Amino acid sequence: MSRQGRQPRRIVGPQSALTDFLASHNISAYQIHLNADARRRAARDEQDEQADENNQSNDQASEASEASPATTPAVTASTGPTTRRRRAAAAAAPAQEEEARKKEKKAIDKIKASKKFQKRKRGLESEDEDDLARALLQSSAPLPGQQENCESCGKRFTVTAYSRNGPNGGLLCSPCSKELDKDNAAQKKKPKRATGGAVGRRRQLQSNILDGTYSLGAKSLMTLCIETLAKNIDLAEDLGDLPSSIIDKIARKLSKHRLLDSRTLSLFLQPTAEEVRIYDGAKLSSDDFIRIFQTVPGLKKLKVRNGIHFKDQVLDFLMTRNIELEDLYLHGANLLSKGKWKEYLQKKGHALRSLRVYFTDLHFGDEVLALLPTTCPSLTRLKVSHNQEVTGAGVAAIGQISTLRHLSLDLRNEVHSDIYVDVLSKIGAGLETLSLTRVREADNTVLDAIHTHCRALAKLRITESEEVTDAGFARLFRGWANPGLVVVDLQKCRHLDSARPRDNPDAVGLCSDGFRALMAHSGKTLRDLNVHGCRHIAVGAFEDVFSNQADGKVYEAMAKLEISFCEEVTDFVVGSVFRSCPNLRELNVFGCMKVRDVKVPRGKILVGVPNAKGMVIEGMDDSDDDEEV
Amino acid sequence: MSDSKYITLVSGDGFEFVVLREAALVSPTIKGMLRSPFVEAQTGRCTFPEFNAIILEKVVDYFHYWHRNQDKEDVPDMEIPVEMCLELLMAANYFNLDAKPTPRD
Repeated sequence: MSRQGRQPRRIVGPQSALTDFLASHNISAYQIHLNADARRRAARDEQDEQADENNQSNDQASEASEASPATTPAVTASTGPTTRRRRAAAAAAPAQEEEARKKEKKAIDKIKASKKFQKRKRGLESEDEDDLARALLQSSAPLPGQQENCESCGKRFTVTAYSRNGPNGGLLCSPCSKELDKDNAAQKKKPKRATGGAVGRRRQLQSNILDGTYSLGAKSLMTLCIETLAKNIDLAEDLGDLPSSIIDKIARKLSKHRLLDSRTLSLFLQPTAEEVRIYDGAKLSSDDFIRIFQTVPGLKKLKVRNGIHFKDQVLDFLMTRNIELEDLYLHGANLLSKGKWKEYLQKKGHALRSLRVYFTDLHFGDEVLALLPTTCPSLTRLKVSHNQEVTGAGVAAIGQISTLRHLSLDLRNEVHSDIYVDVLSKIGAGLETLSLTRVREADNTVLDAIHTHCRALAKLRITESEEVTDAGFARLFRGWANPGLVVVDLQKCRHLDSARPRDNPDAVGLCSDGFRALMAHSGKTLRDLNVHGCRHIAVGAFEDVFSNQADGKVYEAMAKLEISFCEEVTDFVVGSVFRSCPNLRELNVFGCMKVRDVKVPRGKILVGVPNAKGMVIEGMDDSDDDEEV
Repeated sequence: MSDSKYITLVSGDGFEFVVLREAALVSPTIKGMLRSPFVEAQTGRCTFPEFNAIILEKVVDYFHYWHRNQDKEDVPDMEIPVEMCLELLMAANYFNLDAKPTPRD
């Protein structure tokens, strides 16, 4: 709408709900009204011309008859608008004409006195008051009810204030205006793409970086297809014979939106499969889980996350079948009772090679763990995570499982270091993975036991210990007969003192010496290192480790490095890390306040830079890339 | 023989698509076909009897979409028509357009 057409802002009294609603959608009822007026006037002029041609005298009569409804509605109630033209054509008697003229005069006078007229007069600056008054008189005539032929389809219809003009200036009936709306909407929608502006794009970019989905260039065609498929999973009836790797990808994508339910589950159950992975089973019922065993008789590996309804009856059913699971991964199956766990292990435990249980509170405890050494003779992988029930007695029982290769514990109960030492002395020699998450009381004796017994470790995790010291770590890594580690996670092994956080007189946690020893021992093989929150590693240690490329200190394998909240890390250290780890993909530096302005090489990701600018990539020019790659 | 800048992909129903060689090389499958001992490498013409023109066109579409965007950040997603999603997924698997394509190696 043009600016001139808009009414000047004014204070108004109470309005109707419709006017308020329209105003809130930026539609002015007044504007609609004006438009209708203009249209009516145009129609009137045209009609007048015609009438002039036909019969000069009819004109006045018709005008009067049209004017009358506004002034005296009671009178015109009987003479409907449809009869108007006929009446006009019938050339009313002179007396009637006279009467009509009088009426009009009266009406005009009345309008002239009205406030609306005064306002309008100011707005339009019309000289001829009579003309204006007459225009107003006409405009207040009831348009609704007037009949007109639709411009596009030719049908006769009733004009309303909302009738729209067609392309040639005529009026359109409501079905035709809807068509017009549809066309316009299609045109309007297309150019409007959600870019979110510069800030939105940057925000999206940062979000992608944190999600780990950041990458240069387009997504792979497969990703695009899978995303489209996940969006329209309702339409899919069968995934056909896609390779299982792709089906797995689709399953992961679906779980992200919690789309897996009884119906979509069938898409992933292939009778010939040996493996079923359910990444989000929150919407599945016990019957759905039973259906898995019914449809996939050759099942060997089962993974269920958020399997809330994986209950006793499901295990009961499983025990009646011939299915011998080798790999069982249960996440959140809190309704399985202790008795059923034991029963299952006694019946089917002999086939189990891998048992991973996450998020249980009451029923998976010491008694169940105590059964493992006898019932599961071929168990190589055991993971008990977020468990509130297991205590030291259960952990001690793990020491009896001589076949174990991978051990991962994340318990809520405190377990004394002596128990870990005992377990390590029994099975440490064969362990490839040792993961002890949140072990506050683990001390140097555990580290020494690892040093003494472990010879095949590739992955080591000891987190949040407040007892281990720098000297302990240095002893562990110096002269250790174990080959280089691949994954190391020592996050939050540090001294905690809220009063004097900077002081660490006893060198508690991973500090400079331990870090140097770690990198000297495993630097060549390390792929993933996490020293998050080990804030007593001095800048000198970082520089020793990362900034001596000339001495051959290059870490080819390193792909992911997490040094967040290591306070000493500077721009120089970060730059050195990028130089000394050529295959690094991601570096996390949250809370490293001394990192200010680092240029990130192309294809690498720096997460958590403490400024609003985010990551600055070096070498955006195309010419540079060619040299670099 | 020096390699032409373009190669020709032929669909099962006989349609031919002339594609920028550099763009088509995003597919390890095609890259493998264009390695020297094979006929495809000499003629610069790859035939895919498995796919009809509609699917192959979309794949070719993707090649160029990828080529155009390989150095850009925050690339808008390519439209995938829902009805050809599964077939295209098969094609993506065939052409190995799986993991993150490595830009230029």
